[in-house]
Amino acid sequence: MASADAAISARGLHKRYGRRVALLDLDLDVAPGQVVGLLGPNGAGKTTTVKILTGLVRPTGGSAELFGVSVADPAARTRLGYLPEHFRFPEWMTGLELLQFHARLAGRDPRRDAGRLLDLLALVGLEGRGAERIRGYSKGMTQRLGLAQALVGDPDLVLLDEPTSAMDPLGRREIRELIRGLAGNGVAVLLNSHLLTEVELVCDHVVVIDRGKVLRSGTLDEVRSATLEVRIELDHVDQRVRDLVAGYGRVIAADEHEILLGTDDPEVVPRLAVDLVQSGAHIRALVPLRRSLEDAFVGLVGKEES
Amino acid sequence: MTALAVTRLSMREAVSRRLVLIGLVLSAAFLLLFGFGFGALYSRAASEADSTALAFGASMITVLGLYIVRFLAALLAIFLSSSAVASEIDSGVLHAVLARPLSRTSWLAQRWLAFVLVTVGYVAMMTLAVIAIANGIAGYAPLNTPSAIAVIALELAVLLSVGLLTSTTWSAVTSGVVTFSLFGVAWLAGIIELIGDQLRNQTMQLIGIGTSLFMPSDALWRGASFYLQPPSVLVLSRQAGGGNPFAGIAPPTTTLIVWSVLYATAMLLLAAWRLRRRDI
Repeated sequence: MASADAAISARGLHKRYGRRVALLDLDLDVAPGQVVGLLGPNGAGKTTTVKILTGLVRPTGGSAELFGVSVADPAARTRLGYLPEHFRFPEWMTGLELLQFHARLAGRDPRRDAGRLLDLLALVGLEGRGAERIRGYSKGMTQRLGLAQALVGDPDLVLLDEPTSAMDPLGRREIRELIRGLAGNGVAVLLNSHLLTEVELVCDHVVVIDRGKVLRSGTLDEVRSATLEVRIELDHVDQRVRDLVAGYGRVIAADEHEILLGTDDPEVVPRLAVDLVQSGAHIRALVPLRRSLEDAFVGLVGKEES
Repeated sequence: MTALAVTRLSMREAVSRRLVLIGLVLSAAFLLLFGFGFGALYSRAASEADSTALAFGASMITVLGLYIVRFLAALLAIFLSSSAVASEIDSGVLHAVLARPLSRTSWLAQRWLAFVLVTVGYVAMMTLAVIAIANGIAGYAPLNTPSAIAVIALELAVLLSVGLLTSTTWSAVTSGVVTFSLFGVAWLAGIIELIGDQLRNQTMQLIGIGTSLFMPSDALWRGASFYLQPPSVLVLSRQAGGGNPFAGIAPPTTTLIVWSVLYATAMLLLAAWRLRRRDI
């Protein structure tokens, strides 16, 4: 099922911490060059998913592979870069020393890599700060160093868990550009972020999870339109028309002239139009509303809650 | 290139702590005090005391001095190892490191090796310095200094393995207290065994031997201390009927050495097993 070409291939991941179930049954696929956003409310299982993929947490069920190698094998992490959500670096080290250490762990020769490490510092906006001790770094600088650390092994897959949480808007923009640059070079990126606008700006694929399972996954547009809202304007709305419309989805709001319909399927719009006309209703307007990722997210997760 | 990257880092980390710097300053003060004390023994006593009492005094001061050195090294080992795993996980230092293509067993073994090198390095340096001072002042010639250092090294390896094992489960403070308690219990059992030997009380001897199986640190020290005394003093001590809680009168048995090596290895493997199963 899993091909060696897939950066991430996870099937039926399950994780239980004592009685609490963090992941129920999660499938995830990420191909090279894809930037995939992992979305979900707090406690949905995002960080658990990422930690299983990095081998930090052992799943209680299911399997996961990175480039065709099981995550239980340390070799699976050869092509992986990882920025954890909560992390601390030894404060007595300098930024450059930290990168040298991780370069060694990633199997590179830091002496031959010296120029590249300096380039990497410049790439994340820490040019000229490599000789300073981490003790003196600000939160934002530490996060930038964390990002450089994730990239030190020249990875083909990067897992970023809340990579810009400590950054200002300008820093966030830099990181977005950096992520796009990675994807342009064929690197697969899994981005775990609370910031939906950020995900919307940088990701081409989105996976929405809640309570340990996938609610929806697909391209950004597919997920955005997944919970389509359609505004139906009629001469007159009576109970018969409302019942007819309700057959196509959820009636979110309705008054004498207008119905707001929520649906998962964009294909209902033309069928609904035909039905309405045949029923004798006079259509003034039938407008599928373009939704933001946030609307889609709230629609998906909210529906799950209710 | 991953070879020993963690060991090198852990050694630098251990040395970068202020504790080590303070330790070195205090150790220098310790050597100074030892030199003065030892010198005073010979300048005043040499003229009046008989040579047997003098040899005993010199041996006592040297062995006790080295007992303190070994005690400090044991504390350092417990301190380093007990904060090495769980508290590193809790603070988030380990996440990025263990997400590298590096097995947890290798990470743990490398860290253990670093701590062995640091603590044994300290003991070797201090032991050689103390013996050199005693030798310079009074020609003090212990039976076999390298053997003594090797046996103390084994004791430190045992303590580090136990410290790492407890630190895979508990926080730094809990782990340190548990390991230090085991160290203390072994010391007490050593005294019970010694007195049992002198009174020929079999129950007391069994308590001592049983505890040494459970934690061989004190038995190893008594074995090491044998090598730190001059042969003439050892002969006299044996004639007098036994040693004291600080200085043994017999070399470590082969059984003890083999048991300690197995013990340290088993504890380290157990720690690796626990770490591998742990979610981080």
